Parts: sequence; C-alpha cells; structure tokens
Amino acid sequence: MNKRRGNKRRGRAIAVTGLGAITPLGSGRQEVWQGFLSGRSGIGPVESFDTSAYNVHVGAEVKGFDPQPYFRRLESSAVGRASQLAVAAARQALDDADLEDADFEKDGLDPFRCGVAMGTTSGEPLEVEHFNDLRAVAGLAEYGGELMTRYPSHVIAAHIAAELGFAGPNTMIPAACAAGNYAMGHAFEVLSSGRADLMLAGGADAFSRITYTGFARLGAIAPDVCRPFDRQRQGMIPGEGAAVLVLEPLDRARARGAHIYALITGYGLSCDAHHMTAAHPEGSGAVRAMEEALRSSGRRADEVSYVSAHGTGTPTNDRLESRAVARVFGERSSVVPMSSVKSMIGHTMGAASAIEGLVCAMAVADDRIPPTINFQEPDPECAVDCVANQARSLDVQVAMSNAYAFGGNNASVIFEKPSAH
Amino acid sequence: MEAVQVEAIQVRDQIKEIIANVAGIDADAIADNASFMEDLQLDSLSLLEIGVDVDYAFKLGVPEERLQELRTVQDTVDLVMQTLEQRHPAAAVA
Amino acid sequence: MKRRVVITGVGALSVLGDDPSSIHRSLCEGRHGRRPLLGFELPSRTVSEAGQIAFEARRYLPQGNLRPLDRTGQLVTSAAQLALDDSGWDAERRREHPVGLTLGTMFGSVRTIAAFDQRALEAGPQYVKPFDFANSVINAAAGQTAIWHHLWGLNSTLTGGPTAGAQAMAYAADLISIGRASSVLAGGGDELCFESLFSADQAGLLAPGRGEGARPFDRQRSGMSLSEGAALLMLEEASGVAARGGRAYGEILGHATAFDPSRGTDRELGIEVLTRTLKQALEEAAIDPGEVTAISASALGSPRVDACEAQALDRVFGAELPPVSAVKGGLGESLGASAALQAVVILESWRQGRMPGVVGLEEHDDTLPLPRLSAEPFAVKVPGPVLLVAVGLDGNVGAMVLAPAT
Repeated sequence: MNKRRGNKRRGRAIAVTGLGAITPLGSGRQEVWQGFLSGRSGIGPVESFDTSAYNVHVGAEVKGFDPQPYFRRLESSAVGRASQLAVAAARQALDDADLEDADFEKDGLDPFRCGVAMGTTSGEPLEVEHFNDLRAVAGLAEYGGELMTRYPSHVIAAHIAAELGFAGPNTMIPAACAAGNYAMGHAFEVLSSGRADLMLAGGADAFSRITYTGFARLGAIAPDVCRPFDRQRQGMIPGEGAAVLVLEPLDRARARGAHIYALITGYGLSCDAHHMTAAHPEGSGAVRAMEEALRSSGRRADEVSYVSAHGTGTPTNDRLESRAVARVFGERSSVVPMSSVKSMIGHTMGAASAIEGLVCAMAVADDRIPPTINFQEPDPECAVDCVANQARSLDVQVAMSNAYAFGGNNASVIFEKPSAH
Repeated sequence: MEAVQVEAIQVRDQIKEIIANVAGIDADAIADNASFMEDLQLDSLSLLEIGVDVDYAFKLGVPEERLQELRTVQDTVDLVMQTLEQRHPAAAVA
Repeated sequence: MKRRVVITGVGALSVLGDDPSSIHRSLCEGRHGRRPLLGFELPSRTVSEAGQIAFEARRYLPQGNLRPLDRTGQLVTSAAQLALDDSGWDAERRREHPVGLTLGTMFGSVRTIAAFDQRALEAGPQYVKPFDFANSVINAAAGQTAIWHHLWGLNSTLTGGPTAGAQAMAYAADLISIGRASSVLAGGGDELCFESLFSADQAGLLAPGRGEGARPFDRQRSGMSLSEGAALLMLEEASGVAARGGRAYGEILGHATAFDPSRGTDRELGIEVLTRTLKQALEEAAIDPGEVTAISASALGSPRVDACEAQALDRVFGAELPPVSAVKGGLGESLGASAALQAVVILESWRQGRMPGVVGLEEHDDTLPLPRLSAEPFAVKVPGPVLLVAVGLDGNVGAMVLAPAT
C-alpha cells in the first residue's frame, strides 16, 4: 500500500462533501461520530409501543426528535416519521457541505441537476399501523387514503426533493437492510454518467411494531445488548434512523472548494438467489459484492484498511459474514479491522448502511475507527479483529462498507482518501 | 382409549394439512413419520411457519423452545396430544 | 464506451390478457379491463369495479411451492417466466450466466404488510406469519423472483407510482450500457388489493364510472382506474445477443428521469420539469422531435396530471406532434407495471403494423393543446422511434426512447 500512496489513480471517483444523520446515539455528523468513537450505546427499553406481549423489550429508538427545525417548505406533520428523519438528515448533510438552504444560484447549481437516491426497508410502516388501528377500532369511514399518499416508500426521496426544491433524478431503492449502499451505488452511477451534479444519497427507516414483531417472531432479537462477533451473541436489536451523504463529482467539489471527507471509488451489488431471510451458507453473494466493489474501485483486498461490517449480532449473520470476508481477504481476514456500529445503535434497517457510509467517510477523514462494543468472548467461527470495545487510531486509506439484506441482496461500497486521486 | 386414538388421528390429519399448506404439497403425500428437513425438504422459515400454525390451530401456548425442537410429523403430533391431555385430562380418558 | 441495450423478450400479465398480441388487439378494439370487484368491496360503494386479473400462478409456474410467495410475488415471478421463455434464457443458460432483475413497484405488497400487522393485533405477536414477514419487505417480489428462477445477477427494486417501471428499466439500461451487467429483466408489478384501492378511493383519485375504463385526455376524465399487473422486459447488451444467436425486438436509445418538487401544486414548474425530461431523453437518444414516429403517453385519466403531460408534449413537439397512443383507458393504472406494459405495447405495435390510439377517449378536451387525438388505432407503416412517457401522481417523471432493432 505504501508504494501506491501518492500515486494518483485514474478510476472514477465521487466526492463525499457533506454528512448528516439522525441516530439512536444522537443527531448530526459530529455528535454521531463522537458517540461511535466513545463506544456509547443508544439501545434501551422500547418506548414507542407496548412490548408487554413480547418476549423481548429493547430497541434502538431515536428519542426526543423534533423535525420542525428542518422543515421550511413542507409541513413536518404532513409526512411520516421515516420522511421526517430523512429530511432532517438531508438538511444536516447540505448544511455540512456548506450548501445550506440549497441556494442554487449562489452555489452555481441547477435544481434540475440535483437529485436524491434513498434506501429503506419498510418506507412508512407507521401508516399501515395507523390504518390497521383505525380499521380495528374507529372504522375507516373518515380515512383520508394515506396508504396511497403518505405510505408508498418513494415518498421518502420525494419529500427530501420537495423540501429542498431538487428537480433532478429521484430514486427510492427499498433494498431492505442493504438499501443505503444500493442508494449510494446508484448515486455514484448517476453522477459518473453526468446525469446530475449533486446527489443526496442515504437511507431511512422508522421504528415500527411491524418490523419489531417480525424480528421477534423470527427469534432474531437479543434480549439485552447487541454483541456482534462475540461467542455469546444472541441477536440483533431493531433500530431507526436516517443518514444522508452529499455526493458530488470530484472536479466540481474541488472547484467550489468543498471540504472532501472521502471519495467513493466503487461499489458492488449481488443477489444470492437463495433464500428470502437466510444468507447463502457459503456467503457467495457477499463475496461477489465485495469482489465487484474492489474491482470497480481498482483496489486489491490487501489495500483495504478498515471494513465496516454488516455485523447484526445474530449467530448466523456474523458467522457467515466472517466466512465471506475470509474468502475475500484470505489470511489477512483475521487482522484487517472490522467493526460493527450496530453494537451501539442496533440495526437501523434501511438507514444502517447509510449510517455506516458516514462511519467509513469519517474513518477515512479522521483516521480513527469505531469499536464493536459489548465484546467479551471471541468466537472461533468469527475469526476477525472486531476492534473490541475501544476506538482505535489507524491510517485509513481505504474503507469497505458491507451490507446484506432480506431478499438475498448484498452490497459493498469502497471509500478512499481524497489524496488518492 | 379409543377416543384418544381417534383424536390422535384427527390431530395428525390436521397437522398434515398445515404442513401440506406450508410446503405446497398434498397432505396424502406426507408419511406419518416424515421428517421436516430430510423427507419434506423444508427450510427453517417453513418450520417456523408450521410451528406458528400448529400453535395457533391447537391453542397450545407452549414455549418457543418446544416448537423449535420439532423435527418430524410424529414429534408434532406428540407435542399437541401431550399438551391437550395435560389441559383436559378428562377428555383423554373419556 | 457505452454499450447498446436491446430488448430480447417480454412477459406481461395484465387485465387485458397475458400475451402481447391479445393485449394489443384488445387495446386496438378499445376494450377495457375493468370488472366488478372480486373478493372484497369498498365501503363507500362509489367504486365497485377495478382492474383485477383472474390470476392463477400455476398456469405459469407449474412446478414448485407457491405458498411462500404473495400475490405480488406470484405476478412478478410469472411475468419473469414468460420473459425468460420469450428471450430464450433457459435454466441452463441462467446457471452459467448472471441475469439481473430490476423491478419497479409502488407497494411491493401493502396487502401482505397490513395482513401481517392485523394478525399481530388480532391473535397476538407470537402468531404472526413468518412467510408474511419475509414478504413484508418492499423488495420481496424481486427477491422471490430471483430465488424461483435462480437469477443471480444484480437485484434492485425501485419504488414510485406510474413511473416506477420506467425508472427500473432506465436503471437496468444504464448498468448494461456501462458494463456492470449484461442481461437484466426490467419492468415492474403491483397487485390490486383492498388497502390500495380503498385508499385511492378515499384520496379521491379514482374514476367512479361503471362499465367503462378511465378516460385519458378526455374532457370528462375524472380519475384513474386502478389495475394490477406485472410486466418484464429482458434487456441485454447488443453484441452478446448476436453472439448467442438471439434476436432483438427493439433498442433503448435513451432515457431521462426527474422530479417536480412542487408535486403538481405549481402548474408551470410541473410542465417545465416534464418538458425538460422529454427533451433530455430525446437528446440522449440523439434524435430530433421530428424523428419520433409515435408517443406512448402516460395519461391515466387524472384531470391535473394528464393536462401537465399534454402541455409538455406540446412544448416539445408543437405542430410536429406525432400520433399519440395512451393505453391506460384499457389497461388501467397498474402502477409498477404501467411503463413496462407501455413498452410491451410499443414492441407489439411494430410487429402488428398498428398502434392503439387514446383508448377510452370520447369527448375532446379543448383546453388541452393536443388537437388530433383519436381513440382509433393508427397505422405504423415503418416502425420508428417511439417516445414512452411516464408521469407520476406526486412528482416523479420519466421518459424513454425505444426504437426497432436494427
């Protein structure tokens, strides 16, 4: 790697110039990043609905979130919670990129060339819950039809664009728990092909009883804490949140003097075509996504400094993920640092890989990597360096963010230092 | 005793119907001692679906672990019969 | 170096049939697929008809366990079977080469998600159905289809209203043209269910008429007719098709998507966004408006959305407007399936030498700048580039230029 450093490379590169996130650990790039580095936990008893009929009771909710300050054109109460979280993260990200208020003229931007690509698992599931609650109790006579107008998941990307006046390509990719990476991959293509000059890319999901009930029924939820890669790990913990990255072509970002946290230089997508809820036993889809991501960025596995794991904390995921990483990284798989922030904020579903995108961009920018907390006992089936319990300083030249999802969807994204190009 | 046997046959038939529905096969094609994974080629999600349907149909309310232990049609019949007998001991000897 | 993207097969399930030639014939004859509701009714009873398909997945998928698939999953998996058959992508070829899938949908299945939650409310959270939970994710239909047909290429779902299918086809076309994929099934699908139809009715989006379809561009248009359906096109990199001895029906020359941030509240902005999108698609296709031989309009029967589309078409084409085809008076608004069904009808029109007119049009709307609309089919003497337009209900717009294979 040292030999390559300083060598300008000629692959495609997209600049990450702004970061915003609303998470169970806090709000905004700095608070979220500091929270991760300090190894705090955002997990606690579920407050948004009654879990007394369940055998698990913890979740990772965003507490005390006030959407109001982020809404200037739309009425915040007229949109669902996932849209509220998404719009807030989008505003934060633009602000962070010094593009606050999306003053197109001042910033030399054409609203028709500013787009949005977002991911989600469930869209606005609270609208379905509301519908069912009405149906069961008060009846539907007065129902306003919000399943048609407020529920369909594409409203999340639409609400961001409507709030900001973005008229460019607007895409919603519900690739479940890998959705943030799918959105970033798509934004990468939209920008690389010259279809837009600025893309907001990320993911959002709201805490919902539907999601919680489903994972509880699958027996996937841990009773107390999330401990990825630990021998005693007992499961994942559902969460909520949103993260948005401001992405721009590198030359444009440099021309406007933007602060560049990191570059996205490649990504890989694959499908297991194996099972809806179970990963492929050999992790072959995950392997293909990682290899394609490396190939498209022109990197070798031995150049990767840090891996942000999918790391949900379920016995199966972490075992299969470790195995897949071993197939890609070979002998280095036990020494390349690979942590899971899901140990701190649970699994925020469609927001997860977007938040982990923020983590990778910050790791590259800050040369520090967040820990996997709650780690006590190594698991021989997860022979990885999970950065146990303490953040670490590290020269992060290349970071890889992995995400896997229901439907057998796998996605990996590569982040690098701006000096690489 | 006879009534218990009749009941066991009914329970078995009902369980086979549930399995048939989940597996997308004919109930008649399911052997009394068929194993879920080897004979019927069912995956873990299908097993869970069967567990939920059986629990719901017979209102078993047994702990999750008991449902997860089920490996065969016979296991399932036994669990249901045991639970019903514990609940209505009179019915079992009637 | 951009690679060319061609269409080598289609699969379509619609209220007007499950093969392109009968769908095309019904549209040319001006028929619609609206029928009295089966299986449920709406409490308001102002709407008692919709576009439901008498659908039996077994007809298309003779082997295998259908139970893990919900209706949307079955519709899409069936359409995929038809498209794979039509393009010659048999099981052996699929084992050797990755086939991707990009699916446009509005809901995935809102029926499944609602039923999952209802069961938790009524019976308790321990009695929810695990199969339903697996299908509650919006990408479930794409995942199930990939598993069924062993499609191990990329797999993406894109959500939107009537534009979702166009967005999915554009997404796939781009990935093929830059070399990220070589063969991708692209299109979309949505089922019709109580939750979607009732909500559309409560939101005032449905045409109330009985015994007739929606009336796109008509003076009396009063809303859409909601339908279900699934349609997929096999998109491939052109040189690979020739190499494997396949044949192409047509080619995607260019496309564009955009968003009206006013979501219809600023009439002028809405028209401007769509106008720019149409021009951008033509520009990417490197053809002049004068070379477009026909328009496949999105028009779904909405007073506002149809008017916006008419204005934009006028701004792009003016007096040179080619004949306009609009199929939703017959097929209804099938959401994720819509744009892919439009594409299927375009391809079939080249083959049949005629294209459906504005199906369902009865009374001309003088306020629209489209003077020569007709419900009658028009002749396609020499197949040429067609502009496919997709306009959503809440801001999304898309356009795509299709041309006959050369």
